[in-house]
Amino acid sequence: MAETSINKNNGSRAFRILLLLSFLVPLFFLADLLVGSYYISVPEILKAIFRSENADAQIVLIINQFRIPKAFTAILAGAALSVAGLQMQTVFRNPLAGPYILGVSSGASLGVALLVLGTGGLLGGGIVSAVSSWGIVAAAWIGSGLVLLVIVMISARIKDIMTILILGILISSAISSVVNILQYFSNESTLKSFVVWTMGSLGSVTNIQLSVLFPSVLIGILIAFFSSKFLDAFLLGENYARSMGMNVRFARMMVFLSTCILAGSITAFCGPIGFIGIAVPHIARMLLQTAKHSLLVPGTILIGALMMLVSDIISQLPGSESTLPVNSVTALLGIPIVIWIIIRNKNSGMI
Amino acid sequence: MILEEKIIALNNATIGYKAKTHSVNVVKSGISVYALKGELVALIGGNGVGKSTLLRTIAGFQPSMGGDVLIRGKQVNAYREKELALIMSFVSTEIIRVPNLSVFDLVSLGRYPHTNWFGKLLDEDRAIVEEAIKSVGLKGYENRMVNCISDGERQKAMIARTLAQNTDVIVLDEPTAFLDLSNKYEIVHILHELASEKGKTILFSTHDLTTAIAESDRIWVMLNDSVKQGSPEDLILNGDFASLFHSEHLFFDQEKGDFRIRKQTKQKAIVRGQGLAVDWTIKALERNGFEIIDSDTTSDGAAYVTIDVVYPEWTVIDQEQTAKFGSLLSVCRYLKGF
Repeated sequence: MAETSINKNNGSRAFRILLLLSFLVPLFFLADLLVGSYYISVPEILKAIFRSENADAQIVLIINQFRIPKAFTAILAGAALSVAGLQMQTVFRNPLAGPYILGVSSGASLGVALLVLGTGGLLGGGIVSAVSSWGIVAAAWIGSGLVLLVIVMISARIKDIMTILILGILISSAISSVVNILQYFSNESTLKSFVVWTMGSLGSVTNIQLSVLFPSVLIGILIAFFSSKFLDAFLLGENYARSMGMNVRFARMMVFLSTCILAGSITAFCGPIGFIGIAVPHIARMLLQTAKHSLLVPGTILIGALMMLVSDIISQLPGSESTLPVNSVTALLGIPIVIWIIIRNKNSGMI
Repeated sequence: MILEEKIIALNNATIGYKAKTHSVNVVKSGISVYALKGELVALIGGNGVGKSTLLRTIAGFQPSMGGDVLIRGKQVNAYREKELALIMSFVSTEIIRVPNLSVFDLVSLGRYPHTNWFGKLLDEDRAIVEEAIKSVGLKGYENRMVNCISDGERQKAMIARTLAQNTDVIVLDEPTAFLDLSNKYEIVHILHELASEKGKTILFSTHDLTTAIAESDRIWVMLNDSVKQGSPEDLILNGDFASLFHSEHLFFDQEKGDFRIRKQTKQKAIVRGQGLAVDWTIKALERNGFEIIDSDTTSDGAAYVTIDVVYPEWTVIDQEQTAKFGSLLSVCRYLKGF
């Protein structure tokens, strides 16, 4: 029985880390509310949240309409992209797989490019401002949804998972080329608005949009939770998974569906945000010292949310009035972490 | 007489791949072999003869192209994944290297078809997993990570996983392929114990004749044109093993039960003396291309050398000269000059 207790200790270590993380996330959420181009002190923020009737109306407006949605979006984006990345790394058994490996983000880019560059080119630069944020969201969603459809159709017919991976990469390259052509033929102002979209942004999501984004991410994460047994079996490869009684095609479909919903929704609302989805699953595995997805899924949710909040705080450049594109911050934050993990674990082949 | 149940049975089965829409790439056809309850069955055959295809067909990973492939009397492809997983478990040749996966967690994956949607282990499941780990001799390894243990230990863990899956049939594709000698023997011995003590039917492919002959109850020999079966001894006696490799350089030694390399003999030698040292002296001479002849059959006048063995001393007598040596290594060096 000694072994069992050790095993349980191992589990409780992971549990303690999860507990710690779930304290850190609200802490960084509050910290994220603090930063912004307009300085608001902590008591004012607390007052604006909890006793808004006594607070300065302008501060309440900033907090409720801008900072809370942005911080909340950061949590959703970090959690969604990280869980999507975890699923892709497990299913493809490839440490470099990420949420966009199936071509979801290029599908979304194509949708947005067609809308922004296409209509801009057709009707002149003035129309760009008229393209509402909802239009961009819808275009991105349709684009990534179509890619999802293609991927699910392919995965129902093709047995070999590596073929699916290669097809996914090829499809996304082909779509990127189309986007490049569109960019080449578009004028300066529309091109810039498209390029800004590709840099990612957490701040453009409104409260109403959140009411669509939040349930979408929730559905994606719930599917991932329900797939955690499938994901454990995928660790050994599809043949082993089948020999242990898993319906491989169904399981694969669930995982792809979840990944596309998560990555597609975030890309639709925030643009493509890179590197979080690749880095966070590695951090989670290293911190939790486990390969069990019943622990890794909550772990990546919390670490992903934390990473994204930190990225957002950094991108606000606290103390200054300008901001950085969040996409660059996530890359500059994530890459050193992954390099460190790779070098640290190189000898034991942990990756 | 009690009719014994054929747990695995192939009747005139054809294995292969679907090449295009209507054609089939047949690897082998007319396969009729079976395995009974509690038997350890070794599948033997040369590279590329279709061992893996046969095992994959039996495991249900690919459909048979004709005939019957029956697991407990039912076509393997007629089972649903989960049904089959309760009867048969599988170990492939692939080396599993998953970061941060402990031996306990790997073995507990075997409980997959028995646990609920979330894979939650009950106390009963934990007990089965621990028992499985113990019975392959990995007790104390529960919290070791699978990519930080040796190949032999990892293979034992994979076998423990099939035990946790608690199936009547276990199919293993070359479980001893990349193991050292002692691990090879140990793994095959564990399989033998599981078959005879727990009544499991275990089918494994191997290139290692010696261990297969020593431990298996039944051997399926995959030849180029057919698949034969029998006890290892039957197959040695009736010469089926000998037809496994058609090569002028190899011959099957029916006494030793293994293949040996045929040497071109150029010279003759007589070995005199007694004991084990004589046997090994003969082996050393054979390796160096000498034909060993009896001392009474030297009347044909051919040239030969005589070696007197009084361990630890060898005396090599040629027509005109005599030399003494303290080891077979120096004897061989000397004889190379002939």
